[in-house]
Amino acid sequence: MSRADKKLKSQQTVAVEVPENSAIFAQNLNFIYNPKSPFAKHALIDVNLNINQGEFVAIVGHTGSGKTTFVQHLNALIRLQSGELTILGKYNLAAKKPDLKGLRQDVGMVFQYPEYQLFADTVLDDVCFGLKNFGVEKDKREGMAREALELVGLDFDKIKSKSPFDLSGGEKRRVALAGVLAMKPRILVMDEPTAGLDPRGKREILSLVSELNRTHGVTVIMVSHDMNEVYENARRVIVFRDGEIVFDTTPRELFRLEDEIESMNLEVPAMAKFANVLERQGYAIDENCKTVEDVYEAVLKLKEAKNA
Amino acid sequence: MLRDVTFGQYYPADSFVHKLDARVKLVLTLLFMVGIFFVVSFMGFAFITVYLLTVILVSRVPLKSVLKSIKGIIFLLLLTSILNVFFTKGDDPALALVYLKVTDRWTIEIYKEGLIFAAKMLLRLTYLVIGSSILTLTTTPVDLTHAVESLLKPLRIIHFPVHEFALIMSLTLSFIPSLIEETDRIIRAQKARGADFDTGGLVKRAKAFVPILIPLLVGGFRRAEELANAMNSRCYEGATKRTQMRVMKLSWRDLVATLFALVFMAAIFVLYGMRGQWGALDFLNWLYF
Repeated sequence: MSRADKKLKSQQTVAVEVPENSAIFAQNLNFIYNPKSPFAKHALIDVNLNINQGEFVAIVGHTGSGKTTFVQHLNALIRLQSGELTILGKYNLAAKKPDLKGLRQDVGMVFQYPEYQLFADTVLDDVCFGLKNFGVEKDKREGMAREALELVGLDFDKIKSKSPFDLSGGEKRRVALAGVLAMKPRILVMDEPTAGLDPRGKREILSLVSELNRTHGVTVIMVSHDMNEVYENARRVIVFRDGEIVFDTTPRELFRLEDEIESMNLEVPAMAKFANVLERQGYAIDENCKTVEDVYEAVLKLKEAKNA
Repeated sequence: MLRDVTFGQYYPADSFVHKLDARVKLVLTLLFMVGIFFVVSFMGFAFITVYLLTVILVSRVPLKSVLKSIKGIIFLLLLTSILNVFFTKGDDPALALVYLKVTDRWTIEIYKEGLIFAAKMLLRLTYLVIGSSILTLTTTPVDLTHAVESLLKPLRIIHFPVHEFALIMSLTLSFIPSLIEETDRIIRAQKARGADFDTGGLVKRAKAFVPILIPLLVGGFRRAEELANAMNSRCYEGATKRTQMRVMKLSWRDLVATLFALVFMAAIFVLYGMRGQWGALDFLNWLYF
């Protein structure tokens, strides 16, 4: 940051105008790794973004596109270098000392392979780790841990005193997820939550996340490489390329642009391709038909309509 | 955060020193490390300073990066030299610069000899670290391992497992960045769950590291096992019939560098060996300041 910038920043005593109901509001976000060294890398370039509360947003992009860097800004694991970032309208991360405890309680972060962060003797202790750190009273913790573990589909009484290292891969992932969900975050940020899981495990995690988003109103930000899961679950997709946002639209709109998507080394989901072909032939199907079953139903309907 | 650890980090550049054969660099560094203990006078240190500066200049590594390597051991350096100031006793208490009687049996005495000795110690240790970090700054860990393997080859006669030794060394080196990365990730993950590493007393802080150390240890074993399996499944057999992708060759550069280093080292050893015995040339004694 140049001196003039710094001066400008100190003069900005009034916070930026944040839209109402905003979960994440970023303006001119820039980030450089290892500045002033031969390893310097401009990871985020002028990122402007507003995500409303209750949205289900997928963030996609090729490896090294800046999506993980962006996501780590959201609970101040990476401190802001320049620009503005306001979370839930109340945490201004450009401030000198933002309220990190409150922020991290409100923004739950699930990392890639979250099971690698497990450490405690028992599952219960591990899930309670966050609660303890955020100052939840002792007698309330077990109840909250039970709620979180049941939410991720585990039998609390059966699993609570087991060692997390004795569980299967899928179970470990859920325990780690419960450790984040126990804090009842209002924004859930996930970096490839389904990586390395079998199809069933993937489906279960995704339906859990959708459920949280629908019934509990949790804002979900999901980084993913799996375009099929993006297509089927997210209601908005943000595409990063070389540190910049290049697309910010609905999954259906995005995957109509087959050539652009493929030029970014991303793949077009099979069902989106199918819908695109149908559209080019003049048969439009409902925007919300994204799973194989839905598309099948839609095609049957088209056929009936044509025969009639 | 942890990525700032620069000690021994390779600094990519296209320079004379970078292009030197790793074996030559390793041997010359060892020679330098021995030589530095034969430097007894400030004049000798001036020689060494010229030598080091020349090497750094030719290597095109910024002086700042080189000096960063001292950062990690600065505490050790200062402690050693401060202790030396207090524990080096001169011959004559009357000449002490500072003479404080704390109790009957315990006095604090500082002599000119102590200060000089401490200053030389400080220089020696600093140059030792700088010298070795030039090696690691200009040589990739892979090349360094090959150099060690190649230099230890003669030990095969006594059935020393040279190849395995080099393999262990290169694995250790190559695991450092991934372990640092993993530590970084675990710290972030626990911070996201509200872990606090910066406040509280010593015990509380030490306890705060448990949620980092355990996953790190578990991860270390996991990686080791995965690597062992990967090597087994590729029929890794150790030293038998393995060839190297990069064959090291000596060139004119290595000759020039060796000659340059030898001239300086010879000067150091001559200075050391001839202490006060120059006879007719005793005007040269100023060299022993």
